Amino acid sequence: MKTLKSMMVAILATMALTSCTYNKLVEQEEVVAQKWADVQTQYQRRADLIPNLVNTVKGYAAHESETLEAVVAARTKATQITIDPANATPEQIAAYQAAQGEVSQALGRLLAITEAYPDLKANEQFSELQAQLEGTENRIAEARRLYNEAVQTYNVSVRKFPNNIWAMIFGFDKKTPFAAEAGAEKAPEVTF
Amino acid sequence: MRLRLIILGILYVAALRAATYSPDNLPIPYLQDKTQYVSNPDGILSQEAVDSLNLWLGQMEVAHGVQTILAVVERIEGGDTYEFCMALGRKYGIGSKQQNTGLIILLSTGDRAYYILTGRGLEGTLPDAICKRIENHQMLPALREGDWDEAMLNTVRAITRYVDGDDSLVGSTDFDDTDDTVALIVFIGCMAFGIGLIFFAIWLDNRKKSYCPSCRQHKMKKISSYTTKNKRLGIKTHHDTYRCSNCLFTKELHWDEDLHSGNGAAAAGGALGGSFFGGGGHSFGGGGHFGGGSFGGGGAGGRF
Repeated sequence: MKTLKSMMVAILATMALTSCTYNKLVEQEEVVAQKWADVQTQYQRRADLIPNLVNTVKGYAAHESETLEAVVAARTKATQITIDPANATPEQIAAYQAAQGEVSQALGRLLAITEAYPDLKANEQFSELQAQLEGTENRIAEARRLYNEAVQTYNVSVRKFPNNIWAMIFGFDKKTPFAAEAGAEKAPEVTF
Repeated sequence: MRLRLIILGILYVAALRAATYSPDNLPIPYLQDKTQYVSNPDGILSQEAVDSLNLWLGQMEVAHGVQTILAVVERIEGGDTYEFCMALGRKYGIGSKQQNTGLIILLSTGDRAYYILTGRGLEGTLPDAICKRIENHQMLPALREGDWDEAMLNTVRAITRYVDGDDSLVGSTDFDDTDDTVALIVFIGCMAFGIGLIFFAIWLDNRKKSYCPSCRQHKMKKISSYTTKNKRLGIKTHHDTYRCSNCLFTKELHWDEDLHSGNGAAAAGGALGGSFFGGGGHSFGGGGHFGGGSFGGGGAGGRF
């Protein structure tokens, strides 16, 4: 009788695990990790564009060195922070977001001063670099949006009953989405 | 009565006024006819330009699997061309799911803004910088002159060059999928039926001519035939003599042929064949479908 009972419990537990909850949570966690990787790729892409941009601007506006150095400094700081999404705390996400936000702001200031240099604006290489930068800001926004969507789906799964019991047992924690940040998620305003 | 007319008039004028388009209400002719890539609801582009663009974009889809929607409108909701293109891409999933080679080209003349949005799979072929270069060199000069046709034609021509240069893009299999195989079979069936019908009509005509009213047998044979022409009326008259090989009953048949339009039977056959060809052509241009491609935000835009 006792063995029968324990066997039934084992069968039920296996069914509960394989049919949905555990596997679903694993899948959704993987999706979140994937989307996070996409976000990082796009931020990296922006970081890669910055040296080229700074050099191009330097050729036309050398005495704006303060603004140029601010961009380089913000970039250096931001690239030092990398996050493993599997065990990132909300504070780490916030720090990452803040560092990237600083890059956005520094870039915004840099692009603002370029308005004063018609020769620079007419430079084809600069125009194309600017387009790449804009495209990358758009890609970042899109990647962040998709990351947040994935996090939301995952968080709903984790918190729903009875999933929350399994999530607790196997250690699936809630994940932190990007907070909407005033100005940071927007591409720097560029006018032609 | 008069009031109703006035209201109708106002409604009509309101309908005629260029609408402000959102991704949800922008007409997509491609869905009804897969040779129509251009959405030109306000008639900003000329028909000739639309035809050329459709042709080139069609070739690009067949050869490289790049699925394009080119929209030229007076105004878009919100005025943000990037957001508009992204929403359009998300809504329809333009481009194949495997290659993600969707492409959206938008020009809003009232907002004086444009955008080229590339699908994820096209970002390598058409990087942002290249999109910008195409816009700066091909689109902008014509836009500044208000030559919308030229701007779009130049742009698509330039894009085609870049896409043609990328061998990694695989052509669309969309044009020989089952839908079209079925359409082809139906088309051939219709043709065979039409040709059969013509032969049957000729056979019936001959059988009627071979019928002997005297002995009621199909034994009449043409024994002599000559024609006379009346140039003034433009008529050729055939005089055929038939004799029954059974009872030797003889009858004469006279029939006129219009010299200008040729043989009557041939004219009918031409019309029949023509209508079948027309029908077939229409079925080939059936509605297109989007493959579910995704957009990551690549591309470039600007204002003029």
